Amino acid sequence: MIANPLNSSPLAFPILEVVHIVGFISAVGSAALVDFRLLGFILPRRSPAEIWRATLLWTIVGLTLVVFSGLSLFSSDPDMYYLNPAFDLKIAVMIAAIVFYYTAVRKAVAKAVQTGASRLVAWISLLLWVLVLFGGIFIAFVQSYAPEA
Amino acid sequence: MIVTFLRWLQWTDFFSTLRDWLYSYPVILSLHMVAMSVFGGLILVTDLRLLGVGARTYSISDVIDGLRNLKRVGFVFVTTCGVLLFGCKADEYGFNPWFRLKLVFFVLLVIHHWVFRGSVYSNAAALDSAPQIPGRAKLAGGLSLLLWFGVICAGRGIGYLHPSLEHGITDPRPDSTQVMPPAATEPLALNRASSAR
Repeated sequence: MIANPLNSSPLAFPILEVVHIVGFISAVGSAALVDFRLLGFILPRRSPAEIWRATLLWTIVGLTLVVFSGLSLFSSDPDMYYLNPAFDLKIAVMIAAIVFYYTAVRKAVAKAVQTGASRLVAWISLLLWVLVLFGGIFIAFVQSYAPEA
Repeated sequence: MIVTFLRWLQWTDFFSTLRDWLYSYPVILSLHMVAMSVFGGLILVTDLRLLGVGARTYSISDVIDGLRNLKRVGFVFVTTCGVLLFGCKADEYGFNPWFRLKLVFFVLLVIHHWVFRGSVYSNAAALDSAPQIPGRAKLAGGLSLLLWFGVICAGRGIGYLHPSLEHGITDPRPDSTQVMPPAATEPLALNRASSAR
């Protein structure tokens, strides 16, 4: 078995964690701005579509950082992660959050008039992102299943 | 004296009750992350705009004035969670060098705010009418990004250091089963495994 070089340096893990944090601040923070605009909380003079365009790049940059640092963190101890219920939930909700953002939220943003439905979409999107963050923290606080012999 | 205060804070009824509930710590920590995403996202957008890198279709006053209220809400939210986390383990945090470094960054951020408030943050309309973004505004945005990045690094570092526990002191409350961790005055040991992830 080839040793993972990430495990030979004590600094690799914390540095990747910082990249992970910067990544999710950029991704979730910019996506939340679009959701908040759909809810009418911010920048009332600008349309949601304009906010979507202005944040587009930062959402993608953030998602890229977060996924690649996440894969690297995962590789440091795969058994602990995929056998961890919080991790499994986090991955499922993360996929849901990303798919929902680029389908339902995108559609709601494109509409000229905001309706009750677009507000519901924004709340669901925010809830999904929040669950991803909870899942991430809870990995450290719940027990992983024992690997099968 | 600081130790006395930290211990008193940690063992007040409020923080003891909070600590007694098994999942209070991870729940507050998660909420800290949620607030951080929103607040950090707003900081990022504002600073990138001041640097002239992001959100260029928006005027500086749109970004600074339009996001100010939400930023305040985010700040209160993230700070409240942070204070609650601190209170649960005041003793341990108070002696953690990374936590102290984080406090240093906060002091620098207060100074930053104080230095740039008049010329940048309360002056957005004038910045918009300037032919190009003034150097002072760019400096404010760049320094803010650096300082907040420092806060993140120091914050993450906290989880990697733990005080050496040599003697336990029993919770002063009569009906409690909690064991009070001793004050961390000893040099701290690098420990990745326990709360780092």
